[in-house]
Amino acid sequence: MKTKYYVLISIIVVMSMLLAACAKATPAPTEAPMVTEAPVATEAPVVTEAPKSTCPMAVEPGATIVFSGWGDTTEQKIYTDSIERFKAICPDVTVDYQPIPDKFQDKLKAMMAGGTAPDVFYVDDQLMTAFAPSGQLLALDDLMAQGGVKAADFIPALLTQYKLDNKIYALPKDWGTLGLIYLPEAFAAAGIAEPTDAWTWDDLRAASQKIAATGKYGGFCMNADWARFAPFAFSYGGAYASADYKTATIDSPAVKTAAQFVADMFKEKSLVRAADVGAGWCGEAIGKKLVGITTEGGWMVNFMKQNYADVKWTAALIPSGPKTRADVIFENGLGINGATKYPIASAAFLFFVTGEANQGEIVKTGFAYSTHPSQADLVVDPNDKAISSGGLLPDTRVAYWGPYTGKVNDAVGKALDRVFLGDQTVDEAFAQAQAEAQTALDGK
Amino acid sequence: MHNKTKSVQSQPLIAAIISFVAIFIIIMAIAIINAPTMGGAKVMATAASYLQEVKRTALPFLGIVGIGSIALGFIVSRTVFKIWPNKRNRSSMITGYAFLAPYLIITLIFTVGVILFALYISFNSYDIFTPPQWVNLDNYKNAFRGFVDPASKDFVQSLYNVFWYTLIVVPLQTAAAIFLAVLINAPIRMKQFFRTVFYGPSVTSSVVITLIFMWFYLKTGYINFFLAQFFGVFGVDWQNILWLGDPRGLIQIIVTSLGGNIPSTQWYLRGPSIAWMSIMFQNIFTTAPTFMIMFLAALQDINPILYEAAAIDGATNWQKFWKITLPLLRPIILMVVVLGTIGSLQVFDQVYLATSGGPLGTSLTPVYLTFREALGAQGPIRMGYAAALAFILATIIFIFTYVQRRFIERGTEQY
Repeated sequence: MKTKYYVLISIIVVMSMLLAACAKATPAPTEAPMVTEAPVATEAPVVTEAPKSTCPMAVEPGATIVFSGWGDTTEQKIYTDSIERFKAICPDVTVDYQPIPDKFQDKLKAMMAGGTAPDVFYVDDQLMTAFAPSGQLLALDDLMAQGGVKAADFIPALLTQYKLDNKIYALPKDWGTLGLIYLPEAFAAAGIAEPTDAWTWDDLRAASQKIAATGKYGGFCMNADWARFAPFAFSYGGAYASADYKTATIDSPAVKTAAQFVADMFKEKSLVRAADVGAGWCGEAIGKKLVGITTEGGWMVNFMKQNYADVKWTAALIPSGPKTRADVIFENGLGINGATKYPIASAAFLFFVTGEANQGEIVKTGFAYSTHPSQADLVVDPNDKAISSGGLLPDTRVAYWGPYTGKVNDAVGKALDRVFLGDQTVDEAFAQAQAEAQTALDGK
Repeated sequence: MHNKTKSVQSQPLIAAIISFVAIFIIIMAIAIINAPTMGGAKVMATAASYLQEVKRTALPFLGIVGIGSIALGFIVSRTVFKIWPNKRNRSSMITGYAFLAPYLIITLIFTVGVILFALYISFNSYDIFTPPQWVNLDNYKNAFRGFVDPASKDFVQSLYNVFWYTLIVVPLQTAAAIFLAVLINAPIRMKQFFRTVFYGPSVTSSVVITLIFMWFYLKTGYINFFLAQFFGVFGVDWQNILWLGDPRGLIQIIVTSLGGNIPSTQWYLRGPSIAWMSIMFQNIFTTAPTFMIMFLAALQDINPILYEAAAIDGATNWQKFWKITLPLLRPIILMVVVLGTIGSLQVFDQVYLATSGGPLGTSLTPVYLTFREALGAQGPIRMGYAAALAFILATIIFIFTYVQRRFIERGTEQY
């Protein structure tokens, strides 16, 4: 009887010990990725001289930083090369490159919550929204002052999405935009002149009608996509939301007029969707010679080289609308983990990668455009250059509308979808999109 | 003697108190491990810094769990107090729980603890980095706001979609599974071979199958090709359909062909979209063989004497199937329908890979929406809202399962 009693007690004791062990063990694994010389580094964050290095910033001695981003092997090569170049300048900093090719954003959010996020990583609008307001990203302003990096050195449109409460949380590392892509043979078949940099959307429409009339090619290829529609909306003087990101402006006359223009083109069949002509996307439709014109970005250069090397295609500046000529920018930046142990070393690396010297090297590979306006001429491929020139127009902007960017843009895409389906008129579809976007912006 | 009686009397009380304290400590320890903290390397560095963070952010959570654990501890200690004097019951209780302990503790930490955490979070606004803010029932109210405000119809639409999905997929896949099982159960050659072939889709990863089906469903894919060939025989010109990108609803197509029109403001009258039905078809294809195996096992359990007796009475094969096979399969049918319903209401991976909830939200499902909100794919991370959606779905699944049990189990005879 007594023994049973002890059994019970000993079981309870063992169980509570197990649990106690668990309680202590849980935080432990996160200690592992942290680097060994941690105490030294934290004691002396500012060191005056860095021996034998030309590093522009006084980095923490023995700093090892983890750098992470998405990307295929081509992109990874760009960054291993960048790290090599950085090492030549700052030999004291060890950069551990750990690419995460798939589901980068999801993974990074989990890592950040678990305290195992890298020191320097890619930041897009989604990660900016998730990390910046809760202090997970380091504000770069002070470090930029220390490193002599000026916001004015970057293309202005690229910085808007990384600003929050007048602080900068990431610097743009590369960007893309849309250009007018066309098949010269389609223009020849229709007997019309090829696009010029003075083209308007009306010119595009007239040309598309004539190309479609040949019966050999579709006219202008565009999917129900907020990004492809953005140059229309912007050049009609519209935007999807107000500058303070509080009010949706999808049902503004400017956006609706632009949408009506697109809808009319669709109705008269001078505009087709990629799927209508049997292509996965409009770039493929150009490669397969199914359409005469579309709007795509710099990725067309490599895509066509790899898949349709014998198809001759040309790029031109994005056409202008009644108000202005404006393109849409897609971009990614680099940010620093707010909990990093080596903020200065991380900043030195970030400034180097986004700085002019390294950006100039990246441009040469044809991988991406430089984030510095002074390097616009470095783009090698003539088609790529024509596409990129849209990005430097004064009214060009990123389709960023604050934390709810994804939902606002999604509402626009769905509205176009409904219009193309013949489900709703432009007025109905964009009124619904306005309501959806406003609900999202209100945080409901 | 007197002393011994006293110890016998006081023992149940001591045991009850110990079990009460043990339960309280265990649950509170689990709660502390699962507490909603801000995370981050600094917080997780040592146990002390973690506990400090828990103190800073998670006291209300611990309070709620504390009340719950006191209640549970009281119930358990009362049971212990009652059982203790009976030696046999006592020893079987101790051995039982001792054997259960390893699994129980793991489940408590990694399942029950996490569920408790999610339940707490569902009443909060929580971005996983800053401390949760208590918002009462706002998350639950928001979920159902789509009923009154069409601009936020995502969750309501996702429920609408899975109800159609369940309504179509569960009966069809159950019927298909029974059909396949009966087919394979027949005395034919190479039974093993067919069994393996039929079971193939279930063994294959649903990711792989979804990718293959995505190619089938292309506008220039095989399904359109075969349909065009098939209809070509009859001289009908088949219009290629973009299977996974067509938001037209089943009812809408019927109404339109009759000359009517359902406006998009009444999307809830349009029925499941072509894209959604394409995913249903794919899912029936993968799940039916899984259930076929269950039916096959049940079929082999049916006593052949019953068939012999029926044959003597002059029953046809058809009668044998309806009067003997099907009634005897009833318990398995219940299980398959319940499992199928749960699986259908939780459909996720096909949507995630093939359509991302599109076109026009006609393949949005509650689990996909939960995932999207929890990871902040289209806006800030809303873990609280996502948790609320998950609990609403869990409640719906519970109700469905309960009702099905009541209706199908009644009249289930065991032979």
